[in-house]
Formats: sequence, structure tokens, C-alpha cells
Amino acid sequence: MNLEKVIFSFFMILALTLNFGFFYGDVGNPDHHNIYELFAVIVINLVATVLKFGDRSQLGAMLLATSLVAVVQLISASIVWTFVVHVQETGMTATAMATIVSLSGGAFLANIISVILLMMEAAMLRH
Amino acid sequence: MNMVTSIILRRMRTPFLLLIAVYSVAILGMVLIPGVDDQGNVWRMSFFHAFYFVSFTATTIGFGEIPYPLTDAQRLWALVTVYSTVISWFYALGKILSLIQDKAFKEAVAANKFKYDIKSLQQPFYLICGFGETGKAVVNSLTEEHYRVVVVEKNENNLNALNLDELKEYVPSIIGNASEPDILELAGIRHPMCQGVIAVTASDETNLKIAVSSKLLHPEIKVACRSEFKDIEENMRSFGTNHIVNPYESFADIFSMLVHSPSLHLIYDWLTGVPNTTLSDPIYINKGPWILCGYGRFGRELYKHLKAQNISTVVIDPKKSLKEEFDLDEDENRFIIGTGTDHKTLNQAGISSAAGLIAGSDNDSNNLSIIMTAVDINPHIFSIARQNKWNNHILYSSLEHQNIISSDASVNFLTMHPREIIARRIRAYFLTPLLENFLNIARQQDNEWSNITISRLSAVVGDSRPHVWSATINHSTAPAVSQALDYGRTIKITHLTQDPGDRKAKLRCVPLLLIRDNQEILLPDDDIEIKMGDELLFCGTYQVKDNMHWTLNVMRSLNYVMSFKDEPDSYIWRLYYRHKEKPKHRKNKQ
Repeated sequence: MNLEKVIFSFFMILALTLNFGFFYGDVGNPDHHNIYELFAVIVINLVATVLKFGDRSQLGAMLLATSLVAVVQLISASIVWTFVVHVQETGMTATAMATIVSLSGGAFLANIISVILLMMEAAMLRH
Repeated sequence: MNMVTSIILRRMRTPFLLLIAVYSVAILGMVLIPGVDDQGNVWRMSFFHAFYFVSFTATTIGFGEIPYPLTDAQRLWALVTVYSTVISWFYALGKILSLIQDKAFKEAVAANKFKYDIKSLQQPFYLICGFGETGKAVVNSLTEEHYRVVVVEKNENNLNALNLDELKEYVPSIIGNASEPDILELAGIRHPMCQGVIAVTASDETNLKIAVSSKLLHPEIKVACRSEFKDIEENMRSFGTNHIVNPYESFADIFSMLVHSPSLHLIYDWLTGVPNTTLSDPIYINKGPWILCGYGRFGRELYKHLKAQNISTVVIDPKKSLKEEFDLDEDENRFIIGTGTDHKTLNQAGISSAAGLIAGSDNDSNNLSIIMTAVDINPHIFSIARQNKWNNHILYSSLEHQNIISSDASVNFLTMHPREIIARRIRAYFLTPLLENFLNIARQQDNEWSNITISRLSAVVGDSRPHVWSATINHSTAPAVSQALDYGRTIKITHLTQDPGDRKAKLRCVPLLLIRDNQEILLPDDDIEIKMGDELLFCGTYQVKDNMHWTLNVMRSLNYVMSFKDEPDSYIWRLYYRHKEKPKHRKNKQ
């Protein structure tokens, strides 16, 4: 067992599961989506991205790309949230919530691809 | 991915992870700990405010407690935030700084830059392997003429001496062993603009390897090698190395020119030297016996030439085995065992009646000592010193200087610098290949021819060494002349040597050689007609080379020196003129 692999996989899968947790629920309902969960998703995704730095293989490049996509999506979602609450000062609306959740949905997709790639790598190593 | 980015990303992984961890804990803490707003209500920072607070705290900007003054609980957490985030930032910055200082990283950056330099080379360039004394001389002489070169050198210290400011062109360089093919590949041996490889490392073996790899990796390019051993030379020749320079053989060759005719030696020296340097004076050698100290590779080559010229020679060498070998070949007993540094051996060799002395051992101090002793006994002797180490040149030149002063201002001292000789030969080979042909034919001429030629040369060149250039008459290198030839006009060499700025004046140059259909015409006359495919070799000043360029390339200039009218450049005007001047045009065609 390789500790590095464990940590690496842990963060990638945690990023996926947290992302799912935030994404799951009624799209326009702010009560179904927790801000702390979004914060955790962003932090974990950032960690997963940095962990992928410096891997020069083709698969490593793909993993890095998917993580970067997820991070960009999630940060856009958090910027939307900040904008709605602090700049427009309208409070969280159903439309804004739907935007945030759909952005996190995109990140969720990217995270799924990441995990699939990770599983492919693991399967290939078996052979 | 790029090597440099990859190193940065890999090395920065830990600092980035640490920063993310510290930031997220700090932000989360600020969000969770309740504060009080200006009305005394419980107020919690949102993630946005917390991120803002932590960001300006971590970077030590410190805007203060905004938007509301912090409670003590928040201050406690702010303390934790300050210390943990600031320390993490310092750690990350330190990592970045140490990464920039890192040797491996610097090398990666340098390699990256070198790769980019090679890729972006648009002009023809030469690849020089080995930046020792010879390599330096070659680089200097090529960049002086604004040719681009790339240097591969094994020793980092040697490369540091590559003072970029002193060279006229930027020289990309890489540290690496040139006998490894991938280094050659990196240095652009397969680059379409690579014109030639010059292998001048100190080791013959390495030069051989470079020659082999060059011929395999890029068969069309020219390869020039330095070689000191006959068997390796044979090996190099066997797979088509274009030019092999053996410093000893080359010097022996120059020496025989000198003995044969001082003017011939002067012609060689003027034409192959670095342009714009001061002209050397002719060297006259008295007839008489010679003394040769040191019977190594260098001594043997010289002995061969002395023997060929029927000059009686006494050989001095400390090795007994050499004497036996020598006595086997020669009848007379003219081999003395000794170093030649003392009066006794030199007297025994007949120094007082000798015309010349060669100090040709592989030890610089011995050579200097031999000459000082010899000059002490016979102040009028002509001495030749073999210089082995370049950094001893101060000693040799001061010896030279003393000698000139002591004996009525005539030159009677010659130093053999291997690096100088090789650099000259290689420069001539790559830049003016016709010069070799010229010198070969010149060598077969008599003394009188050399005297006449040298006086012709000195009339045009002034007081510094001339430029030598060749002109090939074809559509790409001499478009104006070849077009005029297509029209059926008669162009003579005299037209090329007229000043395109003032056709009554002659350019100060000498046509040295004309090659036509594999025939070589030495010093062609002015009224020889030029034909397509002719190759001409000229010598003169750089300014003259430039002027002649106009005549060769620009129709207007050519017409001017040939006293024709200007021809219109554009198609419609040409049609108009053709229509207008039909009779005259026909006359020209005949």
C-alpha cells in the first residue's frame, strides 16, 4: 500500500462526495444547499489540484485539467454567492441559488471524470 | 509539460498545500466565531468577509478590524490566524527564493533558454564542439565576420570565459559532452540552418565521435576536425570528414612555405589572418644548417620538410630510443641526446654557425630556455618556438619583443600557436573555401611570382589584413550579373572591380582566383569575360566587399559601372522602354 496514493485518492473522492452533497437537493431552494459545504468543497478541490502538480504523465495532465475545471466552476459559484449577498444585497434568491447549484453541478461532473480516470489508472496498474 | 514549470509545480506543492490548509482553517474559524455589530447584535462574518480579513492579515497588510471591531474571542482567533498564515507565507516565499537559487533549476532554465535560442535561429550557423583555446579562436574569428555559432563545451569554467560582450554576435552555449549524440541533437545538429560542425575538443577520440555522429545525424553538413594522431585522422577520413586539421602538419606546411619563399608565407599570412588586424612584416631566413630541438610529433613533421628542402639539420632530443630509431633511417650521425637548454649541447650541434633553431618540445619552459640560451650564443639566429599552453603567450611575446630589439629590428622569431593555426585553417575552410585552392596553386609558383603578387596585394590592402570573399555567378548569389548575362551582355572582371559609386574609380581589390568548369585561373586578368557558374575569389577591404555586393546584386549599379542607362524596374515601364528603344535593345542582344 502506498500512502501517497491513499492520500491522493482520499482527497479526490472526498472532493467528489462533498460536491455531490452540496449539489443534491432542489435546485432553486437555498435551504437545500449549505454554504459550509460549498466552502469545504472548494478547499478540498484546491488541495486535490495541488496534489496533482508536477505529475508529468499523460494521465496526470488529464487529472490536473479536470481538477482545474472543477476549481474554476466552484470559485465562480462562490463569486456569484458573494455578489448576490454582499454587492447586490438582495439576499439569496431562488434564481441565484439555481445558478450557484448548476455551477457546482459542472464541477461535480469534472470531479466524476477525475475519479473515473483514477479508477482507470488503478485498473491498468493491476494488469 | 515544460521542464521548468514542472519543477516549479513539484517543488511548490508542499507550500501551496500548507497555505490552503492554513487559510481554510483560519477562514472557517472567523466564520464560526460570533462577533458583535455596531448596534450590539450578534453578527457573524460571512465567508466573503472572513476571506477578506484573512487575506489582508496573512499578507501583513492589516487593514484593521473591519467591518466591525472584533470581540475578544475573534481577536484570539485572529492571533492564531496572524501567526499561522504569516509564517506559511514566509515559508512559501522562502521556497520560491531557494528554488530560483537552486542549481538544478538554474540548469533547467538555461537548457530551456538554449533550446529556445536554437529553435529561433534563422540564419545559417556553425556548431562548435569544444571551447578550449582553439574553440575560442574559432568562435572569435567566425563571429567577427558576423556568422552565428553555437558552442558545446564539457567544462563549465571554460564556458564562463565566453564573454558575450566581446563577441559581435550572440553565442548560445550549452554545458555537455559533445561526444554524446543527444547533446549534439540538442545543440541543433539537425537544424536545417546548421552549416557545419567544427570538432575542436582537446581529445582526438571525442573529435572522432563527433565527426561520426555528425555524418550520421545530418549527412549533408560539412565537418571539420582537429586531430593530432595519424591513425585517428585516417579513421576520420574514412567516413568522409570534410576537413581535418593537424596543427603540427599545418605548421610544418607553413614552415616550408617560409623556407621556400618569404613572400609566399606573407601571402598566406595576410589572406588567412583575421581581417583588420595589423599586417605582419616579411620574414627572411638566412641559408644554412638548422637545429631541431625535440623530435616528437611536431619535430618529425618539421624534419620531413627540412629534409625535403635539402637543409642539413641537427636533431636534439633527450630520448635515447628516438636516437636509435633516427640513426636507423639516416646515415649521418646528427642526433644529439639532450634537451638543448644548455650551452654544451647547443655548441655541439653547431649553434654558432646555424641559420635557424626550432624549440619544438612539448614543454614551454624548456622551449623558452632553449631559445634564450641559443640567442645568448648566436644573436642572429632565427628561432621558432612551439607554444603549448595558451596562457604562456605573455612569456613568448616578451621573448619575441626582446629578440627584435636586440637584433637590428628584423624579425627573427616565430611562435607556433596550435590554436591560431587551427582556427585559421578552419575559418578559411568554411568562409572562403576557394582560398585553399588559391594557396595550393600559389605554392607551386616560383619566388618571383610570390614577390609580384605580394606587391600587388600591398598596393590595395593598406596597413591591415584584407578581407577575402568569393562571388559565385548564379541567380541566387549574383542576380544582377546573371540577368545581364541572360540578356547576352558581355561582362568582364574589370566591371566588377569598378566602384559602383564612381565608375571612373577602381575598387581596391585583387581578383585572386577564377574557377570555371573545374579549371583554375590564378590572378585572372581584368578583361576576362564572366560566364554563368564562374566562381571568383577576391581580396580587399570590407568596404570594397560591400561595394562589389551592389554591382553583383543590383541591376542599377551594374548598369552604371557598365555605362548603360538605367533600366526601369516595374513591368509597365519596362514594356514602354522596350517599345521605345527597340533598335538599341536588339543591338545589345547581338
